[in-house]
Amino acid sequence: MTGSDAAHRADDLAARQAELVAALVAGGPLPPGFAPAPLAAARAALLRKRAGEVARHWPLLAAALGAEWPARFSAWAADRPTRGSLRDGWDFARALRDEGALPPLGAEELAVREAGARYDGHRPPRPRRLPAWGRVRGAVAVQLAGRVRLLRPAPRASLDTAGRDR
Amino acid sequence: MSAPAGVGIGWRPEIAGFVAELPGLRFVEVVAESLPPSGPLPPGLAALRGRGVTVVPHGVRLSLGGAEPVDPARVDHLAAVAELVDAPLVSEHIAFVRAGGLEAGHLLPLPRSRAAVDAVCANVARVQERLPVPIALEPIAALFDWPDDELDEAAFLTEILDRSGALLLLDIANVHANARNRNTDPLDLLDRLPLERVAYVHVAGGAEHGGFYHDTHTDPVPPPVLELIGELCARRRPPALLLERDGGYPPAQALRAELDAIAAASGFPVVT
Repeated sequence: MTGSDAAHRADDLAARQAELVAALVAGGPLPPGFAPAPLAAARAALLRKRAGEVARHWPLLAAALGAEWPARFSAWAADRPTRGSLRDGWDFARALRDEGALPPLGAEELAVREAGARYDGHRPPRPRRLPAWGRVRGAVAVQLAGRVRLLRPAPRASLDTAGRDR
Repeated sequence: MSAPAGVGIGWRPEIAGFVAELPGLRFVEVVAESLPPSGPLPPGLAALRGRGVTVVPHGVRLSLGGAEPVDPARVDHLAAVAELVDAPLVSEHIAFVRAGGLEAGHLLPLPRSRAAVDAVCANVARVQERLPVPIALEPIAALFDWPDDELDEAAFLTEILDRSGALLLLDIANVHANARNRNTDPLDLLDRLPLERVAYVHVAGGAEHGGFYHDTHTDPVPPPVLELIGELCARRRPPALLLERDGGYPPAQALRAELDAIAAASGFPVVT
């Protein structure tokens, strides 16, 4: 084996590893030759693990969605590569807010986070230095000198017959 | 600090209180990335160190099997943590966790190819250069295989261990998972692995979902895994076995029963 053969094999491995990860976490195409069913099982297992990790960073948001959490989060996350559990939960909570589907507990958790840090959706959140408000679906949180408090909870709408928050 | 011995458990903050009260415990593992490189140790872990319990840092994000060179900052962190806990060795996986700028979020299998053996051995050499202690490599549970494997599992692992000089961290639950999902004989693998290279053994629970056995670490250790411990020990008993639990923590009594079952299957003294 020559040095350039080894280098070629390494390049090939790098490209194929990148294709595989893209297929598993970024909605990329199935790489040639792989059996679809086992890869789909791996994809689902990665999403389940990720949902559990995000739930640890966003416990109220996850609790608000209850038994639906893994499926709801996974549906949103399936073709979005992770940007870390904090940002994944933040982006998901904002997406639910924009759809009008963020339950009160999740709105309160998001309001507290928005008051405590500046997050533009592109770069990592940075702690706010100046006093700030966070307002999400009626929940109001305030941050003063680095301490964040929830001033007003989100209103609890009447529940429909399925027990869902309207 | 002394090498891993007997029955141990993966130290996690959620079960720190339970672990602190195991009277016979001599060995724990801690997720390397969870520790600050210059300390302080979480109080529960510091207390175990004070009792002379061996602590082994277990890395999960080095991506030793990545085609790209391992990140020196991650290696330095692992080395610092090894010194912090006065570890006799560290461990990591034969796997990759990121590629092309994307994080997979979990351990992914390598193709069992010459190129992958080269990649792992090059990265292990880079790590060994900076580590103050030996490294043990752990074969993972794979839900899928690559289409172009050139070597079988035993040949692939033996080649990596021979070339790198690393120790083996054998996960007996992964042996079960892979055999179950590939429809192969787990005993054939045990017969062919260099068992004299085993530093310690992982034991964990899992569950069947959708036709696959998943190595979840959040379910009970199933009987076939305990039976494989017996098969392994009949061939060559490892110096130590360690229970890994990473969530869905059961009542203390159930965890104690699992530790006792591992002790019974291996013939080591109970630690509970």
